[in-house]
Amino acid sequence: MAADWLTHRGVKSAKKSVNLSGEFLARFLLALLVIGTPLWIWAARRGETAVTVHALMPEKGGFLPDTLTAAVGVPLELNLISDDVMHGFAVGQTGWPAVDVKPGQMTEVTLTFAEPGTYTYYCTRWCGPNHWRMRGTIEVTGAEEREAPPASPPLYVELELDIDAPHELDILLKTPPSAARGAELDITLPSEFLSRDVYLTQTPFEVWQALRLASETAALTDEDVWDLVAAAWHSQTTDEQIQRGQTLYNQNCAACHGSGGGGDGVFGQAFDQASDFTDSQTMLGASTAVFDGKIRRGGMGTGMPYWGTIFTDEEIDALIAYLWTFQFPMDNE
Amino acid sequence: MKQQRLWLLFIVAIFGVAFAPLPLGTAVPTSRTVRLEASSFEFSPAVVAVNPGDQVTIELAATDVMHGLYLDGYDLEITAEPGQTAVLTFTADKTGTFRFRCSVTCGALHPFMIGKLKVGPNLLLWRSVALSLLAVLFFISREPLFVNREPLSVVRKPNAEYEIRNTEHGIRNTEHP
Repeated sequence: MAADWLTHRGVKSAKKSVNLSGEFLARFLLALLVIGTPLWIWAARRGETAVTVHALMPEKGGFLPDTLTAAVGVPLELNLISDDVMHGFAVGQTGWPAVDVKPGQMTEVTLTFAEPGTYTYYCTRWCGPNHWRMRGTIEVTGAEEREAPPASPPLYVELELDIDAPHELDILLKTPPSAARGAELDITLPSEFLSRDVYLTQTPFEVWQALRLASETAALTDEDVWDLVAAAWHSQTTDEQIQRGQTLYNQNCAACHGSGGGGDGVFGQAFDQASDFTDSQTMLGASTAVFDGKIRRGGMGTGMPYWGTIFTDEEIDALIAYLWTFQFPMDNE
Repeated sequence: MKQQRLWLLFIVAIFGVAFAPLPLGTAVPTSRTVRLEASSFEFSPAVVAVNPGDQVTIELAATDVMHGLYLDGYDLEITAEPGQTAVLTFTADKTGTFRFRCSVTCGALHPFMIGKLKVGPNLLLWRSVALSLLAVLFFISREPLFVNREPLSVVRKPNAEYEIRNTEHGIRNTEHP
Protein backbone atom coordinates (compact mmCIF):
# COMPACT_ATOMS: atom_id res chain seq x y z
CA MET A 1 0.00 0.00 0.00
CA ALA A 2 2.65 2.44 1.01
CA ALA A 3 4.69 1.69 -2.08
CA ASP A 4 1.63 2.27 -4.34
CA TRP A 5 1.01 5.59 -2.72
CA LEU A 6 4.63 6.63 -3.11
CA THR A 7 4.71 5.71 -6.79
CA HIS A 8 1.47 7.50 -7.32
CA ARG A 9 2.84 10.61 -5.72
CA GLY A 10 5.97 10.31 -7.83
CA VAL A 11 3.92 10.22 -11.03
CA LYS A 12 1.96 13.25 -10.05
CA SER A 13 4.76 15.47 -8.81
CA ALA A 14 7.76 14.71 -10.97
CA LYS A 15 7.61 14.23 -14.72
CA LYS A 16 11.27 13.32 -15.32
CA SER A 17 12.04 10.82 -12.57
CA VAL A 18 8.93 8.89 -11.83
CA ASN A 19 10.39 6.43 -9.39
CA LEU A 20 13.29 8.45 -8.00
CA SER A 21 11.45 10.42 -5.32
CA GLY A 22 9.63 7.30 -4.21
CA GLU A 23 12.85 5.38 -3.93
CA PHE A 24 14.48 8.20 -2.07
CA LEU A 25 11.65 8.25 0.45
CA ALA A 26 11.86 4.50 0.90
CA ARG A 27 15.59 4.71 1.54
CA PHE A 28 15.05 7.52 3.97
CA LEU A 29 12.48 5.52 5.90
CA LEU A 30 14.79 2.52 5.99
CA ALA A 31 17.63 4.68 7.31
CA LEU A 32 15.32 6.07 9.98
CA LEU A 33 14.40 2.55 10.99
CA VAL A 34 18.02 1.40 11.15
CA ILE A 35 19.11 4.36 13.24
CA GLY A 36 15.94 4.77 15.27
CA THR A 37 15.44 1.22 16.50
CA PRO A 38 18.66 0.93 18.52
CA LEU A 39 18.09 4.43 19.88
CA TRP A 40 14.58 3.48 20.89
CA ILE A 41 15.74 0.29 22.58
CA TRP A 42 18.51 2.19 24.37
CA ALA A 43 16.07 4.85 25.58
CA ALA A 44 13.57 2.25 26.75
CA ARG A 45 16.23 0.30 28.63
CA ARG A 46 17.61 3.45 30.17
CA GLY A 47 14.17 4.25 31.50
CA GLU A 48 14.07 0.87 33.20
CA THR A 49 17.41 1.06 34.95
CA ALA A 50 17.79 4.76 35.70
CA VAL A 51 17.08 5.97 39.22
CA THR A 52 15.29 9.29 39.54
CA VAL A 53 16.71 11.46 42.30
CA HIS A 54 14.70 14.50 43.34
CA ALA A 55 16.60 17.46 44.75
CA LEU A 56 14.85 19.66 47.30
CA MET A 57 16.03 22.32 49.67
CA PRO A 58 17.51 20.63 52.77
CA GLU A 59 14.61 21.87 54.92
CA LYS A 60 12.23 20.02 52.58
CA GLY A 61 14.17 16.78 52.45
CA GLY A 62 17.34 17.29 50.46
CA PHE A 63 18.08 14.53 47.99
CA LEU A 64 15.29 11.98 47.69
CA PRO A 65 16.41 9.21 47.85
CA ASP A 66 19.56 9.98 49.80
CA THR A 67 20.98 6.45 49.75
CA LEU A 68 21.85 4.70 46.51
CA THR A 69 23.51 1.40 45.78
CA ALA A 70 25.73 0.43 42.88
CA ALA A 71 28.18 -2.29 41.95
CA VAL A 72 31.76 -1.84 40.83
CA GLY A 73 32.02 -1.50 37.06
CA VAL A 74 28.27 -1.39 36.51
CA PRO A 75 27.07 2.01 35.29
CA LEU A 76 24.71 3.71 37.71
CA GLU A 77 22.27 5.82 35.72
CA LEU A 78 20.70 8.74 37.51
CA ASN A 79 17.97 11.11 36.39
CA LEU A 80 18.32 14.23 38.49
CA ILE A 81 15.58 16.82 38.78
CA SER A 82 14.99 19.68 41.17
CA ASP A 83 11.63 20.17 42.84
CA ASP A 84 12.26 23.77 43.89
CA VAL A 85 15.36 25.85 43.22
CA MET A 86 18.59 25.22 41.36
CA HIS A 87 20.78 22.56 42.94
CA GLY A 88 23.98 20.84 41.93
CA PHE A 89 25.26 17.30 42.04
CA ALA A 90 28.78 15.96 42.52
CA VAL A 91 30.34 12.88 44.07
CA GLY A 92 33.02 13.49 46.66
CA GLN A 93 36.63 12.35 46.20
CA THR A 94 36.09 11.33 42.59
CA GLY A 95 37.01 14.53 40.76
CA TRP A 96 34.05 14.07 38.41
CA PRO A 97 32.70 17.39 37.22
CA ALA A 98 29.67 18.72 39.04
CA VAL A 99 26.40 19.10 37.15
CA ASP A 100 23.55 21.52 37.72
CA VAL A 101 20.16 20.18 38.74
CA LYS A 102 17.45 22.54 37.55
CA PRO A 103 13.73 22.56 38.14
CA GLY A 104 11.70 21.28 35.22
CA GLN A 105 14.70 19.77 33.50
CA MET A 106 16.01 16.22 33.79
CA THR A 107 19.78 15.97 34.13
CA GLU A 108 21.07 12.55 33.16
CA VAL A 109 24.23 11.31 34.81
CA THR A 110 25.94 7.96 34.44
CA LEU A 111 28.43 6.99 37.13
CA THR A 112 30.76 4.01 36.94
CA PHE A 113 32.74 3.24 40.07
CA ALA A 114 36.08 1.49 39.88
CA GLU A 115 36.49 0.93 43.61
CA PRO A 116 34.02 -0.33 46.17
CA GLY A 117 33.20 1.81 49.16
CA THR A 118 30.84 4.46 50.44
CA TYR A 119 30.74 7.60 48.34
CA THR A 120 29.12 10.85 49.32
CA TYR A 121 27.21 12.91 46.82
CA TYR A 122 26.41 16.49 47.64
CA CYS A 123 24.79 19.66 46.38
CA THR A 124 27.21 22.09 44.72
CA ARG A 125 24.97 25.14 44.35
CA TRP A 126 24.01 27.40 47.22
CA CYS A 127 20.32 26.54 47.44
CA GLY A 128 19.60 27.83 50.95
CA PRO A 129 21.22 28.49 54.31
CA ASN A 130 21.45 24.76 55.00
CA HIS A 131 22.86 23.98 51.59
CA TRP A 132 25.75 21.94 53.01
CA ARG A 133 23.37 19.62 54.81
CA MET A 134 22.23 18.39 51.41
CA ARG A 135 24.08 15.15 50.96
CA GLY A 136 23.52 11.50 50.21
CA THR A 137 25.56 8.32 50.04
CA ILE A 138 26.19 5.73 47.36
CA GLU A 139 27.08 2.28 48.64
CA VAL A 140 29.28 0.63 46.02
CA THR A 141 29.78 -3.10 46.46
CA GLY A 142 32.68 -4.95 44.92
CA ALA A 143 32.42 -7.83 42.49
CA GLU A 144 34.16 -10.10 44.99
CA GLU A 145 34.50 -9.40 48.68
CA ARG A 146 37.88 -7.89 49.11
CA GLU A 147 39.60 -6.98 52.29
CA ALA A 148 39.41 -3.22 52.31
CA PRO A 149 42.76 -1.61 52.99
CA PRO A 150 42.70 -0.31 56.54
CA ALA A 151 42.02 3.41 56.39
CA SER A 152 44.73 5.37 58.12
CA PRO A 153 43.22 7.57 60.80
CA PRO A 154 43.40 11.33 60.31
CA LEU A 155 46.49 13.02 61.64
CA TYR A 156 44.72 14.60 64.59
CA VAL A 157 43.56 11.19 65.80
CA GLU A 158 47.05 9.77 65.43
CA LEU A 159 48.53 12.66 67.41
CA GLU A 160 45.67 12.49 69.92
CA LEU A 161 45.04 16.19 69.42
CA ASP A 162 41.99 17.85 70.89
CA ILE A 163 41.04 19.95 67.91
CA ASP A 164 38.29 21.70 69.88
CA ALA A 165 40.70 23.01 72.51
CA PRO A 166 41.12 26.79 72.35
CA HIS A 167 44.44 27.70 70.79
CA GLU A 168 44.51 31.43 71.24
CA LEU A 169 47.88 33.06 71.85
CA ASP A 170 48.67 36.12 73.82
CA ILE A 171 50.77 37.70 71.11
CA LEU A 172 50.23 40.60 68.80
CA LEU A 173 52.17 40.93 65.58
CA LYS A 174 52.53 44.43 64.17
CA THR A 175 53.16 43.27 60.61
CA PRO A 176 52.36 39.90 59.11
CA PRO A 177 55.43 37.67 58.87
CA SER A 178 56.89 37.56 55.38
CA ALA A 179 58.58 34.58 53.80
CA ALA A 180 60.36 36.89 51.35
CA ARG A 181 61.92 38.91 54.18
CA GLY A 182 62.78 35.67 55.92
CA ALA A 183 64.68 34.49 52.84
CA GLU A 184 66.50 37.84 52.63
CA LEU A 185 67.88 37.33 56.13
CA ASP A 186 70.16 34.74 54.55
CA ILE A 187 70.16 32.45 57.53
CA THR A 188 70.32 28.74 56.92
CA LEU A 189 67.63 27.28 59.07
CA PRO A 190 68.53 24.10 60.95
CA SER A 191 67.14 21.27 58.88
CA GLU A 192 64.82 20.07 61.64
CA PHE A 193 62.71 23.21 61.15
CA LEU A 194 62.25 22.52 57.46
CA SER A 195 60.85 19.02 57.83
CA ARG A 196 57.38 18.05 56.77
CA ASP A 197 56.64 16.78 60.27
CA VAL A 198 57.22 20.19 61.80
CA TYR A 199 54.84 21.81 59.30
CA LEU A 200 52.19 19.19 59.97
CA THR A 201 52.35 18.83 63.71
CA GLN A 202 53.82 21.99 65.21
CA THR A 203 52.16 25.35 65.55
CA PRO A 204 53.97 28.39 64.13
CA PHE A 205 54.29 29.72 67.65
CA GLU A 206 56.02 26.57 68.86
CA VAL A 207 58.45 26.79 65.95
CA TRP A 208 59.04 30.46 66.67
CA GLN A 209 59.84 29.66 70.31
CA ALA A 210 62.26 26.92 69.30
CA LEU A 211 63.91 29.18 66.71
CA ARG A 212 64.19 31.99 69.21
CA LEU A 213 66.24 29.75 71.44
CA ALA A 214 68.47 28.53 68.61
CA SER A 215 71.94 30.00 68.46
CA GLU A 216 71.61 31.06 64.79
CA THR A 217 68.94 33.61 65.61
CA ALA A 218 70.56 35.23 68.60
CA ALA A 219 71.27 38.43 66.68
CA LEU A 220 67.77 38.72 65.19
CA THR A 221 64.72 40.59 66.36
CA ASP A 222 61.47 38.80 67.23
CA GLU A 223 59.94 39.99 63.95
CA ASP A 224 62.86 38.55 62.00
CA VAL A 225 62.31 35.19 63.64
CA TRP A 226 58.66 35.32 62.60
CA ASP A 227 59.81 35.95 59.04
CA LEU A 228 61.95 32.81 59.34
CA VAL A 229 58.88 30.86 60.47
CA ALA A 230 57.01 32.16 57.41
CA ALA A 231 59.89 31.01 55.22
CA ALA A 232 59.83 27.57 56.84
CA TRP A 233 56.07 27.32 56.23
CA HIS A 234 56.45 28.54 52.68
CA SER A 235 59.03 25.86 51.95
CA GLN A 236 56.36 23.20 52.57
CA THR A 237 53.82 24.51 50.05
CA THR A 238 53.94 25.04 46.32
CA ASP A 239 52.35 27.80 44.27
CA GLU A 240 50.18 25.29 42.41
CA GLN A 241 48.94 23.96 45.73
CA ILE A 242 48.04 27.45 46.89
CA GLN A 243 46.29 28.20 43.59
CA ARG A 244 44.24 25.05 43.88
CA GLY A 245 43.51 25.76 47.51
CA GLN A 246 42.29 29.23 46.62
CA THR A 247 39.89 27.85 44.01
CA LEU A 248 38.54 25.31 46.48
CA TYR A 249 38.33 27.93 49.21
CA ASN A 250 36.32 30.33 47.05
CA GLN A 251 33.97 27.61 45.94
CA ASN A 252 33.33 25.99 49.28
CA CYS A 253 34.49 28.11 52.19
CA ALA A 254 34.20 31.79 51.21
CA ALA A 255 30.44 31.95 51.70
CA CYS A 256 30.94 31.66 55.46
CA HIS A 257 34.61 32.51 56.08
CA GLY A 258 34.68 35.41 53.61
CA SER A 259 36.70 35.66 50.43
CA GLY A 260 39.37 37.56 52.38
CA GLY A 261 39.42 34.94 55.13
CA GLY A 262 38.08 37.38 57.71
CA GLY A 263 35.17 35.20 58.82
CA ASP A 264 32.85 37.81 57.36
CA GLY A 265 31.18 35.81 54.58
CA VAL A 266 27.49 36.32 53.93
CA PHE A 267 26.63 33.21 55.94
CA GLY A 268 29.22 33.82 58.66
CA GLN A 269 26.64 35.55 60.80
CA ALA A 270 23.83 33.16 59.98
CA PHE A 271 25.63 30.41 61.86
CA ASP A 272 27.82 30.85 64.87
CA GLN A 273 30.77 33.04 64.08
CA ALA A 274 32.88 31.58 61.31
CA SER A 275 36.61 31.42 62.04
CA ASP A 276 38.68 34.44 61.11
CA PHE A 277 41.79 33.19 59.30
CA THR A 278 43.38 36.64 59.37
CA ASP A 279 43.45 36.66 63.17
CA SER A 280 47.05 35.85 64.08
CA GLN A 281 46.24 35.14 67.71
CA THR A 282 44.18 32.07 66.89
CA MET A 283 45.95 31.05 63.70
CA LEU A 284 49.55 31.01 64.95
CA GLY A 285 48.57 28.76 67.84
CA ALA A 286 47.13 26.08 65.57
CA SER A 287 48.96 23.42 63.63
CA THR A 288 48.28 22.02 60.19
CA ALA A 289 47.01 18.87 61.89
CA VAL A 290 44.37 20.90 63.73
CA PHE A 291 43.12 22.46 60.51
CA ASP A 292 43.20 19.09 58.82
CA GLY A 293 41.07 17.65 61.60
CA LYS A 294 38.62 20.52 61.63
CA ILE A 295 38.11 20.36 57.88
CA ARG A 296 37.65 16.60 57.89
CA ARG A 297 35.38 16.38 60.88
CA GLY A 298 33.57 19.72 60.76
CA GLY A 299 31.27 20.39 63.65
CA MET A 300 32.82 22.48 66.41
CA GLY A 301 29.23 23.12 67.50
CA THR A 302 28.85 25.49 64.57
CA GLY A 303 27.36 25.29 61.10
CA MET A 304 30.61 23.86 59.72
CA PRO A 305 29.95 20.67 57.75
CA TYR A 306 32.40 17.77 57.56
CA TRP A 307 34.52 17.57 54.44
CA GLY A 308 36.36 14.32 55.04
CA THR A 309 34.18 12.43 52.59
CA ILE A 310 34.19 15.14 49.95
CA PHE A 311 37.75 16.44 49.63
CA THR A 312 40.67 14.21 48.80
CA ASP A 313 43.80 14.34 50.99
CA GLU A 314 45.54 16.45 48.33
CA GLU A 315 42.64 18.89 48.24
CA ILE A 316 42.71 19.31 52.02
CA ASP A 317 46.49 19.87 51.90
CA ALA A 318 46.00 22.50 49.21
CA LEU A 319 43.26 24.20 51.23
CA ILE A 320 45.43 24.41 54.34
CA ALA A 321 48.35 25.71 52.25
CA TYR A 322 46.02 28.50 51.13
CA LEU A 323 44.78 29.13 54.69
CA TRP A 324 48.35 29.75 55.85
CA THR A 325 48.74 32.51 53.25
CA PHE A 326 46.30 34.62 55.27
CA GLN A 327 49.01 34.67 57.99
CA PHE A 328 52.10 34.44 55.83
CA PRO A 329 51.17 36.47 52.75
CA MET A 330 53.00 35.79 49.52
CA ASP A 331 54.30 39.33 49.18
CA ASN A 332 57.03 38.33 46.78
CA GLU A 333 54.51 38.10 43.95
CA MET B 1 -8.04 75.60 3.63
CA LYS B 2 -7.61 76.24 7.31
CA GLN B 3 -8.24 72.54 8.00
CA GLN B 4 -5.52 71.56 5.49
CA ARG B 5 -2.97 73.83 7.08
CA LEU B 6 -3.75 72.28 10.44
CA TRP B 7 -3.17 68.80 9.02
CA LEU B 8 0.18 69.82 7.61
CA LEU B 9 1.21 71.37 10.88
CA PHE B 10 0.40 68.21 12.76
CA ILE B 11 2.23 65.94 10.34
CA VAL B 12 5.34 68.08 10.67
CA ALA B 13 4.95 68.03 14.45
CA ILE B 14 4.61 64.23 14.52
CA PHE B 15 7.80 63.72 12.55
CA GLY B 16 9.57 66.29 14.65
CA VAL B 17 8.60 64.66 17.93
CA ALA B 18 9.36 61.17 16.72
CA PHE B 19 12.67 61.64 14.94
CA ALA B 20 14.19 65.05 15.67
CA PRO B 21 17.69 64.71 17.13
CA LEU B 22 17.82 66.31 20.53
CA PRO B 23 20.73 68.50 21.57
CA LEU B 24 21.52 66.29 24.57
CA GLY B 25 24.73 66.88 26.45
CA THR B 26 26.97 63.99 25.46
CA ALA B 27 28.95 62.86 28.47
CA VAL B 28 32.46 61.60 27.93
CA PRO B 29 32.35 57.80 28.30
CA THR B 30 33.99 56.63 31.50
CA SER B 31 34.27 53.27 33.16
CA ARG B 32 31.90 52.63 36.00
CA THR B 33 31.80 49.82 38.52
CA VAL B 34 28.50 48.92 40.11
CA ARG B 35 28.23 46.46 42.95
CA LEU B 36 24.89 44.69 42.73
CA GLU B 37 23.87 42.73 45.77
CA ALA B 38 21.46 39.95 44.94
CA SER B 39 19.32 38.58 47.72
CA SER B 40 16.01 36.72 47.71
CA PHE B 41 14.24 38.28 45.88
CA GLU B 42 15.71 41.63 44.97
CA PHE B 43 18.67 43.37 43.44
CA SER B 44 20.22 46.21 45.37
CA PRO B 45 20.36 48.72 43.79
CA ALA B 46 17.49 47.76 41.54
CA VAL B 47 18.02 50.67 39.15
CA VAL B 48 21.40 51.33 37.59
CA ALA B 49 21.87 54.47 35.47
CA VAL B 50 24.85 54.95 33.15
CA ASN B 51 25.69 57.18 30.21
CA PRO B 52 25.75 55.83 26.67
CA GLY B 53 29.18 54.53 25.73
CA ASP B 54 30.26 53.91 29.31
CA GLN B 55 32.32 50.86 30.12
CA VAL B 56 30.15 49.22 32.77
CA THR B 57 31.47 46.64 35.21
CA ILE B 58 28.85 44.89 37.26
CA GLU B 59 29.99 43.03 40.35
CA LEU B 60 27.23 40.63 41.24
CA ALA B 61 27.41 39.47 44.85
CA ALA B 62 24.95 36.90 46.08
CA THR B 63 24.13 37.42 49.74
CA ASP B 64 22.04 34.35 50.49
CA VAL B 65 21.65 31.71 47.79
CA MET B 66 22.88 31.44 44.23
CA HIS B 67 21.56 34.15 41.94
CA GLY B 68 22.14 35.21 38.37
CA LEU B 69 21.73 38.25 36.20
CA TYR B 70 20.42 38.28 32.66
CA LEU B 71 20.43 41.65 30.92
CA ASP B 72 17.71 42.10 28.32
CA GLY B 73 18.68 43.78 25.08
CA TYR B 74 22.36 43.13 25.61
CA ASP B 75 21.82 39.38 25.99
CA LEU B 76 24.45 38.97 28.73
CA GLU B 77 24.36 36.58 31.64
CA ILE B 78 26.37 35.88 34.78
CA THR B 79 25.71 33.83 37.88
CA ALA B 80 27.08 34.35 41.36
CA GLU B 81 27.25 32.14 44.41
CA PRO B 82 27.70 33.40 47.96
CA GLY B 83 31.40 34.06 48.46
CA GLN B 84 32.11 34.10 44.73
CA THR B 85 31.45 37.53 43.28
CA ALA B 86 30.87 37.41 39.54
CA VAL B 87 32.06 40.24 37.32
CA LEU B 88 30.52 41.31 34.02
CA THR B 89 32.08 44.03 31.88
CA PHE B 90 30.43 45.47 28.81
CA THR B 91 30.10 48.70 26.86
CA ALA B 92 26.71 50.38 27.18
CA ASP B 93 26.35 51.02 23.46
CA LYS B 94 22.58 50.68 23.29
CA THR B 95 20.57 53.52 24.73
CA GLY B 96 17.29 53.04 26.49
CA THR B 97 16.09 51.27 29.58
CA PHE B 98 16.67 47.55 29.87
CA ARG B 99 15.40 45.00 32.33
CA PHE B 100 17.73 42.68 34.13
CA ARG B 101 16.43 39.66 35.93
CA CYS B 102 17.65 36.76 38.04
CA SER B 103 18.63 33.87 35.80
CA VAL B 104 18.90 31.12 38.42
CA THR B 105 15.76 29.64 39.92
CA CYS B 106 16.31 30.89 43.45
CA GLY B 107 12.95 30.40 45.13
CA ALA B 108 9.23 30.98 45.01
CA LEU B 109 9.40 34.66 44.08
CA HIS B 110 12.29 34.24 41.63
CA PRO B 111 10.26 35.55 38.63
CA PHE B 112 9.78 38.86 40.41
CA MET B 113 13.46 39.44 41.02
CA ILE B 114 14.09 42.17 38.47
CA GLY B 115 15.88 45.47 38.05
CA LYS B 116 16.54 48.15 35.45
CA LEU B 117 19.58 49.39 33.58
CA LYS B 118 19.12 52.93 32.27
CA VAL B 119 21.49 53.90 29.49
CA GLY B 120 21.00 57.62 28.91
CA PRO B 121 17.54 59.19 28.97
CA ASN B 122 14.73 56.90 27.92
CA LEU B 123 14.02 58.81 24.68
CA LEU B 124 11.68 56.16 23.36
CA LEU B 125 9.42 56.62 26.35
CA TRP B 126 9.45 60.41 26.29
CA ARG B 127 8.87 60.56 22.53
CA SER B 128 5.91 58.20 22.90
CA VAL B 129 4.46 60.33 25.67
CA ALA B 130 4.87 63.45 23.51
CA LEU B 131 3.24 61.70 20.55
CA SER B 132 0.28 60.68 22.68
CA LEU B 133 -0.15 64.27 23.88
CA LEU B 134 0.06 65.43 20.28
CA ALA B 135 -2.70 63.02 19.32
CA VAL B 136 -4.93 64.36 22.07
CA LEU B 137 -4.19 67.92 20.94
CA PHE B 138 -4.99 67.01 17.36
CA PHE B 139 -8.43 65.64 18.15
CA ILE B 140 -9.30 68.58 20.35
CA SER B 141 -8.38 71.12 17.66
CA ARG B 142 -10.05 69.25 14.80
CA GLU B 143 -13.45 68.67 16.35
CA PRO B 144 -14.47 71.50 18.63
CA LEU B 145 -16.41 69.29 20.97
CA PHE B 146 -17.20 71.83 23.60
CA VAL B 147 -17.46 75.08 21.59
CA ASN B 148 -20.71 76.44 20.06
CA ARG B 149 -22.46 73.19 20.40
CA GLU B 150 -26.20 72.99 20.84
CA PRO B 151 -27.43 70.49 23.40
CA LEU B 152 -28.28 67.25 21.68
CA SER B 153 -31.82 66.97 23.04
CA VAL B 154 -34.50 68.71 21.01
CA VAL B 155 -36.32 71.41 22.87
CA ARG B 156 -39.84 71.78 21.66
CA LYS B 157 -41.09 75.28 21.65
CA PRO B 158 -44.55 75.69 23.05
CA ASN B 159 -47.34 76.15 20.49
CA ALA B 160 -45.06 75.21 17.63
CA GLU B 161 -46.68 73.43 14.75
CA TYR B 162 -45.20 70.29 13.34
CA GLU B 163 -45.98 68.53 10.14
CA ILE B 164 -44.99 65.14 8.94
CA ARG B 165 -44.34 65.18 5.25
CA ASN B 166 -43.77 62.24 3.03
CA THR B 167 -40.78 62.93 0.80
CA GLU B 168 -38.94 60.75 -1.64
CA HIS B 169 -36.18 60.18 0.95
CA GLY B 170 -38.54 59.03 3.62
CA ILE B 171 -40.53 60.53 6.40
CA ARG B 172 -39.12 63.79 7.74
CA ASN B 173 -40.05 66.07 10.55
CA THR B 174 -40.22 69.62 9.46
CA GLU B 175 -40.82 72.61 11.51
CA HIS B 176 -43.05 75.32 10.15
CA PRO B 177 -41.70 78.78 10.38
